Amino acid sequence: MDTSREKILSFESLLIGYKSGRNFNILLPPLNAFAIKGELIAVIGQNGIGKSTLLRTITGLQEILGGAVFLKKKVLDEYSRYDLAQNIGYISTEPVRVSNMRVYDLVSLGRYPHTNWIGKFSFTDREKVSDAIDKVGMQHLTGRYINELSDGERQRAMIARILAQDTDIMVMDEPTAFLDIRSKYEIVHLLHDLSKNKGKTIIFSTHDLLTAISESDKIWLTLKDSFIEGAPEDLILNGAFNMLFDDSSVNFSTSDGSFIFRREMRGRIFVDAEGVEKFWTEKAVNRAGFEISNDPAGVKIKISARHNHNKWTVCTDSATLEFGSIYELVNWLNYQ
Amino acid sequence: MKSEKNINSEFYSSPGRERQLIFAGLGVLLLIIFTLDIFLGSVSLRPQDVIRSIFADTGTNIETIVMKFRLPKALTALMVGIALSVSGLQMQTVFRNPMAGPYVLGISSGASLGVAFVILGFSATLTPESLQGFGTWALVAASWLGAGAVMILIMFISMKVRDILTVLILGIMLSSGISAIVSIMQYFSNETMLKAYVIWTMGSLGNLTTQQLQVLVFSLAVGVLLSLFSVKMLNALLLGENYAGSIGLNVRFARLIIFASTSILTGSVTAFCGPIGFIGIAVPHIARIIFKTSDHKVLVPATIMLGGVIMLASDIISQLPGSEKVLPVNSVTSLIGIPVVIWVILRNRKYSGAF
Repeated sequence: MDTSREKILSFESLLIGYKSGRNFNILLPPLNAFAIKGELIAVIGQNGIGKSTLLRTITGLQEILGGAVFLKKKVLDEYSRYDLAQNIGYISTEPVRVSNMRVYDLVSLGRYPHTNWIGKFSFTDREKVSDAIDKVGMQHLTGRYINELSDGERQRAMIARILAQDTDIMVMDEPTAFLDIRSKYEIVHLLHDLSKNKGKTIIFSTHDLLTAISESDKIWLTLKDSFIEGAPEDLILNGAFNMLFDDSSVNFSTSDGSFIFRREMRGRIFVDAEGVEKFWTEKAVNRAGFEISNDPAGVKIKISARHNHNKWTVCTDSATLEFGSIYELVNWLNYQ
Repeated sequence: MKSEKNINSEFYSSPGRERQLIFAGLGVLLLIIFTLDIFLGSVSLRPQDVIRSIFADTGTNIETIVMKFRLPKALTALMVGIALSVSGLQMQTVFRNPMAGPYVLGISSGASLGVAFVILGFSATLTPESLQGFGTWALVAASWLGAGAVMILIMFISMKVRDILTVLILGIMLSSGISAIVSIMQYFSNETMLKAYVIWTMGSLGNLTTQQLQVLVFSLAVGVLLSLFSVKMLNALLLGENYAGSIGLNVRFARLIIFASTSILTGSVTAFCGPIGFIGIAVPHIARIIFKTSDHKVLVPATIMLGGVIMLASDIISQLPGSEKVLPVNSVTSLIGIPVVIWVILRNRKYSGAF
């Protein structure tokens, strides 16, 4: 467990949840984890399990109900709001919609903890703001009103705001929710770049398991009765991800890191093909509810896609059929 | 790289220059409309007479009109406009609600309860005549007490309650409750006193003595200073309290300062002039429309100037220049403010929840 690099943020026996009057509503068992400088950490867990509460608690926006959070070797409670804001930046799922606010104004708000009581900008402040806008690639949109931005652009502007805040740690609650696929990958790519090249420690929650596995250095897996920390691959190998899908009909495949839907299998099929054609034909056959057999012997249906592009030949005991597309093939399989 | 940054900074200084021009224009407009407010009224005055009566001791009727009535009234209008508009801006930002105004915290209903106690509660022992002289101070004191009590209650709630929307709802409930009590008192009061109370609710800019004017100036100075001190906090609060906290704002401290500013401004205006509607809601929107910004470094001075201009204009209209009749100033501000509010609602349909 010992690392050569410094733990920038850690928590021990942390209890998170809500306080109403004298009652504590604690959401999760005591949590232990840490983050190292430059790490990209994905927080994974079901809706409503307490991911957002955890993120708010380590940002200092919500009261700690037990245990302790350490930021750069000091307890979080010892920091004032102002000092904290110079160390941790935060983006919530709450959309920011302020009319008459330009991208530049929004990003400038990131300089809040660095300016005087009236918020006067120095040359450095101005430089940091335009640097932040450059980094997220929004130079051409600085004068645009934020209400006129797309969701992806607004999220990038929000990220520029924390960059301008110039904190070592960035905490983001579902930064890719509501985004289309392209903006989603752009944001994830940006986060990866910031952690690797700018040394930012980024902690973000997400429901996109596959992206989290491929991009993040570490995963904090939040389950009802346990909290597991580790590299994504560690969690795959020890089967931790399957705990996310306890009773549902989905399973996580340890062998190739994909999702498997549990189905009643209707029979076995042998696919005689190679490469991508074999891969995608087998996938389609699987979806139609047939198991893949590795041996042609004793199988009623055989599909051949060899040598012939765009042609699938099916041999059964009674007939031989030809299909021009996987779609037609699956349609036929559905009636078998 | 270097030149790109220069382009950026230049791009953002150009609206600055434009803004300076608008501010200069507003300053001139304010001066003109303030002067007009002194000249226009039931008796139209000649400029040379007014100037002579201000700078020399002429002892004429004109001097009495200018020094005892027109000038205090114009000053009152100016201060009322400033106070209510700045309060409205603060409340709209704190509650992130375009329909919030200086009275959402229940300050006006607190004041009206105090006034109702004096006018209606003691109607057995008071006559309308006794409401002059000593009576005006009694009204002001009662109104201050009522507004102050509500203000302290709201401050207490806002320190205890985390969610700002809950504070807003509690404020609205509080004002409704107080209004209900005032209704009961109105129901049981006699006709003359009821009329005196109703006239108070219509607002009036003209009844201030010199001492009262001094008190108003002092409260306005304190309130406006606090609002200038809250400029940076208001900018942070635009993003909502969670984000404001994450960029370093102490949210409770900010609420304390901003609510104190609003309470002092609105409380004193309401005490001296009665509840004056819609200026506080409409002026901040007009400022946003003119300056097209959300930055309170611009919006606070802009609402101060626009608030003065619009309140002075309302005062001129309410005097129906050239006629003997005077309209209740509250009706005039409402008739000016309502179209603005409607326009804002219709424009905002696109971005529900935005202001």
